[in-house]
Amino acid sequence: MNFERLSQYKYRIPREGEMEVDAAFYASEKILDDLAAEDYASLKQLQNVATLPGIVEPALTMPDIHWGYGFPIGGVAAFDPREGGVVSPGGVGFDVNCGVRLLTSRIERAELERRKDRLADALYEAVPSGMGRGRPDFHMSNEELELVVVEGPAPLVERGFGEAEDLDHIESGGKFEGAEPGAISARAYERGLPQLGTLGSGNHFLEVQYVDEIYDEEAAGAFGLVPGTVTVLIHSGSRGLGHQVCTDYVERFLKAAPRYDIKLVDKQLAAAPIESPEGQEYLEAMSAAANFAFANRQLISHFTREAFVSAGLDGEEHRLRLLYDLAHNNAKFEEHAGKEVLVHRKGATQAFGPGEEDLPEEYRFVGQPVLVPGDMGRYSFVLAGTEGAMRETFGSSAHGAGRKMSRRRAKKAAKGRNLVREMENKGILVRAAGRATVDEEMSEAYKDAADVIEATHGAGIGRRVARLRPLIVVKG
Amino acid sequence: MIEILDHTADVGFELSTSTLEALFEEARRALLMVVFERPPESGAEERAVLLTAPDLETLLVRWLNELIYLTQDAGFVPARADVEIREADTTGLALEARLAGATLRLEEYGWQGEIKSATFHGLDVVFEDGAWRARVILDV
Repeated sequence: MNFERLSQYKYRIPREGEMEVDAAFYASEKILDDLAAEDYASLKQLQNVATLPGIVEPALTMPDIHWGYGFPIGGVAAFDPREGGVVSPGGVGFDVNCGVRLLTSRIERAELERRKDRLADALYEAVPSGMGRGRPDFHMSNEELELVVVEGPAPLVERGFGEAEDLDHIESGGKFEGAEPGAISARAYERGLPQLGTLGSGNHFLEVQYVDEIYDEEAAGAFGLVPGTVTVLIHSGSRGLGHQVCTDYVERFLKAAPRYDIKLVDKQLAAAPIESPEGQEYLEAMSAAANFAFANRQLISHFTREAFVSAGLDGEEHRLRLLYDLAHNNAKFEEHAGKEVLVHRKGATQAFGPGEEDLPEEYRFVGQPVLVPGDMGRYSFVLAGTEGAMRETFGSSAHGAGRKMSRRRAKKAAKGRNLVREMENKGILVRAAGRATVDEEMSEAYKDAADVIEATHGAGIGRRVARLRPLIVVKG
Repeated sequence: MIEILDHTADVGFELSTSTLEALFEEARRALLMVVFERPPESGAEERAVLLTAPDLETLLVRWLNELIYLTQDAGFVPARADVEIREADTTGLALEARLAGATLRLEEYGWQGEIKSATFHGLDVVFEDGAWRARVILDV
């Protein structure tokens, strides 16, 4: 693999072969070792992305880069619609608008510790996880679901599932414009309808945490993060509805690509011009799935608030306030360097710097809240978007720790161990639908999120604000 | 023959069989090996599946996605399959399958986690050295 170091944490892969543009990636020494250990498989995927028509230099990956399918995870790619730029459903991913939301509170860690068992059980009871359906006491008609895919969580908030203020603290106000219910297949609706308000399995989770360390007082103050207080981090996406949207459109785009003379080095990169009928229809469907995902996390937040109340954490002093909801699998039209481009983020987040109008007013002077979950045994981080990210990464940053061990290897490593007990000994209660997910998601299966943050902060594409440590983990 | 692959973020398998129909049957078995620790080997319920596709790769992805849908969304675990593949005039290829399946029981079968979809990443269905081969990555 041919690349050169540009600065301590930034590298360039010069254009070669079918690549239309240079690629660039961010890594610490440790991350670079991980990339070498996988024979640069994810950097080869990045080179593949750089072959797509109309891509704006450079094709990028964030420091949590790892091997995906089609796009590498951590991939960021912007396309210019006026230069034949494309949209790629595989570049958004199967879990359209998978993302995280962080709730803060004034609850002290000590108070939570006294109710920890009760709260862990209440959360596991209140928030459906694993395979299967949503809560039996939550119903939604097909017509209501169509409204949700167009409007996002707002109709849910109107029905009492959340607070009006929540909507101000969601990326894009919780609504991707241009969603078209007719662009989604009947099967996508069928799969999505019973799954609204469910976590799912795999790396999705709900975590109760506490603010362990503050690195940036000003930004932490703006975000409402106070040392020693309790937070809740929720990671889920658009469930079967989004998966089906991606499945449907990858197939359609495979057929469409040759018509537009698009050469695919990997079929999962199937793409069509943004301005084509296929491209437009996918964007309508993707927006609908994105709105479903925002609504899904809204409903999970509501169930979380209910669980806190049932565990005795009720009243205004125990209120859970939504800090921010941030997506990490989508494509968005944004203005960068004076032109409108479609930015794909596949396991990467928006990380707009201070002063950007899209941000909630109270965060505008410090930058966009960037939520970076780590693994379930160590810590997660909150960062703030930077001007550096606006200049270098189309306003993007890292989205997580990044896996380094396959699920199979993790299961082997977990054999003979009781990970739930190990976590409990560290003061972390785990409630999970099955042992397999806990084993697969063991701490050692992930890179240390601190390494990702070191490279992100060090490269100036995200500013370190706070560290959060887990107390309760609910997994599918 | 099924070989389960080590993919960092997702899961996958490589298949090698003597006939094309057996390749699709092995793909079903490999999927169940990924989803369950103890997948059912028989079932009293029956279902029929009819799929069409322009090429073998798309047909294999559609087949797996149909089985994922049946398992996860319809609660029907396809324990056995009788597969026929033929050329179709307008669509390229057609697959007809008769499935015998069991009702989904997460604990009994040792459920391992959801599958989002079969992907086209690095997917090729080829006949070489006297055998049908395919390599499939699933997004989990």
